[in-house]
Amino acid sequence: MSTESDDVESTIMDYRGSIPLWRQVSYPRRRLIRRSLLYVGISIITLVILLPVLWIIMSAFRPVGDVITRNPSLIPTSITVDNFVALFTGSRFPIYLRNTVIVTMGVVVLVTTFATLGGYGLTRIDIPFKRVFARGVLFTYMFPPVLLAIPMYILWSEIGMINTHVGLILAISARVLPFALWLMWKFFLNVPYSLEESAQVAGATRFQAFKDVALPIAKPGIISVAILSFAFAWGDYTMALILMTDLDMFVITTGIEASFYSGGQIRWGMVLSGSAVALVPPLLFVYFLQKYYIHGMSAGGAP
Amino acid sequence: MATNNERIPMVDVGTAVIPRERKDQIYEFLSRRRIMIGVTVLPVFLLFVLILAFPILWAVAASFHEIHAFAPDWNWVGLENYTHYLFGDALFRETLLLSVTFAAVSVAVHVIVGTAVALLLNHHFPFKKFVSAVLFLPFLIPTAILAFGVGYMMNSTFGVFNWTLVNLGILESTRGWFGNPDTALYVVAMVNSWKFYALVSIMVYARLQSIPSEHYETAKIMGASAWERFRDVTLPNLKGVLFLVILLDSVWMFFKFDIIWILTQEGPGGSTRISVVYAYEIAFQQTSLGEAAAISVILFTLVAFAAVLYFYVLEPESEVRAE
Repeated sequence: MSTESDDVESTIMDYRGSIPLWRQVSYPRRRLIRRSLLYVGISIITLVILLPVLWIIMSAFRPVGDVITRNPSLIPTSITVDNFVALFTGSRFPIYLRNTVIVTMGVVVLVTTFATLGGYGLTRIDIPFKRVFARGVLFTYMFPPVLLAIPMYILWSEIGMINTHVGLILAISARVLPFALWLMWKFFLNVPYSLEESAQVAGATRFQAFKDVALPIAKPGIISVAILSFAFAWGDYTMALILMTDLDMFVITTGIEASFYSGGQIRWGMVLSGSAVALVPPLLFVYFLQKYYIHGMSAGGAP
Repeated sequence: MATNNERIPMVDVGTAVIPRERKDQIYEFLSRRRIMIGVTVLPVFLLFVLILAFPILWAVAASFHEIHAFAPDWNWVGLENYTHYLFGDALFRETLLLSVTFAAVSVAVHVIVGTAVALLLNHHFPFKKFVSAVLFLPFLIPTAILAFGVGYMMNSTFGVFNWTLVNLGILESTRGWFGNPDTALYVVAMVNSWKFYALVSIMVYARLQSIPSEHYETAKIMGASAWERFRDVTLPNLKGVLFLVILLDSVWMFFKFDIIWILTQEGPGGSTRISVVYAYEIAFQQTSLGEAAAISVILFTLVAFAAVLYFYVLEPESEVRAE
């Protein structure tokens, strides 16, 4: 009897030995471990991203003394909007903000319109040298943006476009347009041409087919190109640094650096409140337009 | 019967009124092939010529000249700028090595962290909309603002990052993270990764969403383990998007300028003087525009060559090609 049960026992042991450790754990427990690993991973990465953003915004509401204190307390002792009042009434920041808004709107309108029309034309109309153009577009991407600004600086100064909004709008567009055009191109490839053909069979002109059939379907792509060009224009530093030399034409990024970092002492209260203002549109965009943002950025990789 | 069917009118023409006809005429006009090309492709082509082709060709022309920023004269020097930087200037080769290091470290971190985050997000969990909003946010945050914020938080006197580490007992005392020549470049690369991992995440996540769940179910029924499902279903689907994002990210990181310029400029002992920073200094501090243009053309040629090689060696599926 006892030998028999020993046999059974040893068989079970042998069997168990061949199962990976992970499979020996019961299913509910395995699930629990997997879930907790997932939650821990998600929480850590979320905190790493969220905390710096919160810290910048929170510090902007602290009195200047608290902003540059050694060993800062994590919970603010007092809250004030002094930094923002000083920013908007006692500095050039409103001018910088105005310039940034103008330039950003210009880039978004220009790039979105041109990329949408161009993307449509390139997928629907048979044009000679289409491939050459496409390759050319991609190769312009391999030219360093900082160094693109140098010939632009020379050219723009000769035609009087240095220190103009138009000049900066064109310069930033040069950085976004290749990617935007390429995204719209891929997007229209995914819009079946047969839909437009059937509209044309039903009596619509080619233009109507574009306006009433292709455009509405491509709307998510258009919105995501708009978000992308917004992100480039709103955050631009390099082009503005080189092409805008007059302090009244600076944008928020170069302006914060020029106004609050100069004179040996950094005015952190102003830097932080200015940064907090610059963070508002990205926060709104990512929450309300998340769907388009993700959709658009991936158009290139989707089948 | 058949003829009858064909005669059924497909458009209701009875409601057409005069202004409508005029609108139709405009639409007809806009639909002609030449006009269509003129309205769609021509504007974008002209814009390209104005803001990309022309400045780039200008830079190529400038690279054969000696030009000073405030003097209008161009003195022809032939290939002198090129021979100087390709063979004579050891510093340029050093900056090139730093550029490659920065790009390689950055892209590796972005791809690993970005893909991991996308895979985590592909599960179901509470507050998912909020969490994904947070995780995709960094890519929209202006790099300069990130640099200002990090400069504040990692400040050696009052930076919260330093003091948290000190209070937790990880550091003995606060330190200036950007002042050490051995690590400054890597610290900047890590700070920059805080933003740019999100590009990889977004693209990979969207691709993951488009994998049909049937593929996983079939694999499961066939007895594939979680690891096998990842290896044989997920990874092959991600190949195309990873190919693309690595190319895009490498080009961006190789030419990264703003965050390095704001945080460290050329860095302690020139340790963060990557090629574009070097070219910027030559252009605007030494005001030798011709030499800076030559460096741009050299960098452009290197990157274009590397990109062609990348395409040629890895041969991606047609979906990521531009044709």
